[in-house]
Amino acid sequence: MNLPAWWTIDPCAPFRLGPREFPGRIWTASGCFGYGLSAHDVAGADGRTPYDGLGAVVTKTVTPSPRPGNPMPRLVELPTGALNSIGLENVGIDAFLAETLPALEQGGVPTVVSLAATRPQEFGTMAAALQDAGAGCCHWHGVELNLSCPNVAEGGHDFGRDPDTVAACVAAARVHLPDRALLAKLTPNVAEIGILARAAADAGADAVSAINTVVGLEVDLATGRPVLPRRFGGYSGPGILPIALAKVDEIVSAGVPVVGVGGIADARDALRFFALGAVAVQVGTSQMRDPLAAADLAAGLVPDGQTQEPGQTQDP
Amino acid sequence: MNEPATITRSCRGSVLDNGPVSRGLLRLDLRLEVPVNFLPGQFAMLNRSGGRAFVFGRPFSILAVDGDTVSFLYRVVGRGTAVLAELEPGDELTFLGPLGRPFPGPDVVRPALLVGGGVGLPPVAAWLARWGRDGDVACFGGRDGHDVPWDLLGSDWAVSVDETEGVPADHTAWHGLVTELAADRLAHAEGPGTVLACGPVPLLRAAADLAAREDWDCWLSLEEHMGCGYGVCKGCVVPVRDPAVSPWRNATCCSEGPVFPAADIVWEVYGAQASLAVTEPERPPKEKP
Repeated sequence: MNLPAWWTIDPCAPFRLGPREFPGRIWTASGCFGYGLSAHDVAGADGRTPYDGLGAVVTKTVTPSPRPGNPMPRLVELPTGALNSIGLENVGIDAFLAETLPALEQGGVPTVVSLAATRPQEFGTMAAALQDAGAGCCHWHGVELNLSCPNVAEGGHDFGRDPDTVAACVAAARVHLPDRALLAKLTPNVAEIGILARAAADAGADAVSAINTVVGLEVDLATGRPVLPRRFGGYSGPGILPIALAKVDEIVSAGVPVVGVGGIADARDALRFFALGAVAVQVGTSQMRDPLAAADLAAGLVPDGQTQEPGQTQDP
Repeated sequence: MNEPATITRSCRGSVLDNGPVSRGLLRLDLRLEVPVNFLPGQFAMLNRSGGRAFVFGRPFSILAVDGDTVSFLYRVVGRGTAVLAELEPGDELTFLGPLGRPFPGPDVVRPALLVGGGVGLPPVAAWLARWGRDGDVACFGGRDGHDVPWDLLGSDWAVSVDETEGVPADHTAWHGLVTELAADRLAHAEGPGTVLACGPVPLLRAAADLAAREDWDCWLSLEEHMGCGYGVCKGCVVPVRDPAVSPWRNATCCSEGPVFPAADIVWEVYGAQASLAVTEPERPPKEKP
């Protein structure tokens, strides 16, 4: 595609976010590229790999204990996206630190570790364990707090809906992560996301990721019942792009650095986030469909003959 | 032996041929941008390209590969396969494959008893073509004589039909379930050997029971709806026994399978969830790819 004149940034050039220099601005979204280790034998017809030009893999969310995930069905395909209810299936922080993180480091995969917990202090515990185990990792760049989970300590309400709880989670992790980027992934299922983004930034987050999935439901007309056993799921894919753009715009207006995510299908969609001021973007549902989606998108956004100096973070 | 030794390609494919091989089964031949290798039991995700792509591709077991040409069998069961049936030579698809864990290779305990039901034919047919030996037995089950791809099967396969209507005069078919045919063939074979099967869940369960009863090894290729096809979305899990996890754990069908040892599958759970992994809209296709 022809890139617009205002776009002068090389998305595959290093850029600084908080205390870290990331290799690029095109990332894969949490839950959409596994732990980043499932595609090492994938290549395009021309030999391209899913890791070419990739700024970071945000891992599948890791929790304090292993989780088996939700019963089937877990995914519903819709005309403009997908509804998922995976249930945070993951190996747990201990196995992640013992096996997955070393494999990511050995594979040279730029990594952001997604964490979820049921109490704010658990984010701190996991961040401390991560900092301890990953001290020597040069490809582990940061942590993204998945704040769309129920807060057990506060009666099961989502962490991400309350500014004080967002701040508590961020602060608990920040203290243990002096040299890694810290991001808070925000839910769009709120009235004013800018307030939550500001709370995260004031508590020490280097940026927020926006948006997580939109709450959705699909009904099976044959039975008259919700398709998903837990009724609600997370809606993702092209249908949420305008919602994500609106939320990102609100966060930028609040003066908080934001990594845009939600509905990106191609380079044009990514440019929409950058135009609003996003410092980086994440590719989610499209990455599930094609492991080369983010790499293709990154390659398509490199301006002819232009590169960006490392450490430069100004918006287009 | 049981690991993919192939590069998974994400590339475009152009339709060479697409049409029925029986009343219910269609064959799609796709020419890819590059040659690929595969092992019997592996599959590929196919999707429309560009802006008309479905949110997720659809998984299809690979029937055969010849250089850059890949062949599949399919049956129209939903929106994705309905679109596939309308493709004409020259139409383009995206291809991601080969994917998944294949059947074990030629070192299985012989004889091999291959059981394929309907659209479950490709992985076992591919195995027979690659590694079949004298003494191996292949059984295919169709709904009736019209449903059976007689020309594709040739003389290597014993055939069963639920209904005898449509069986050509110059062919014979067992009247009954393919697993009943398989049990008959197994009773006359020099076993124990290895059962390799692909088809709907009742067929798989019956094949597993037969193998267990006769102390044969058994490997099953599961037919599942999938999201990503390469192990990242966790949308196609299968309950399997694992000594490290009590009472069972979720295995990702697309990357840990689709071929599993029959003894690992927790049928009480799997039988209730089978084919519900990913649901797709009921809406019929409106566009031609």
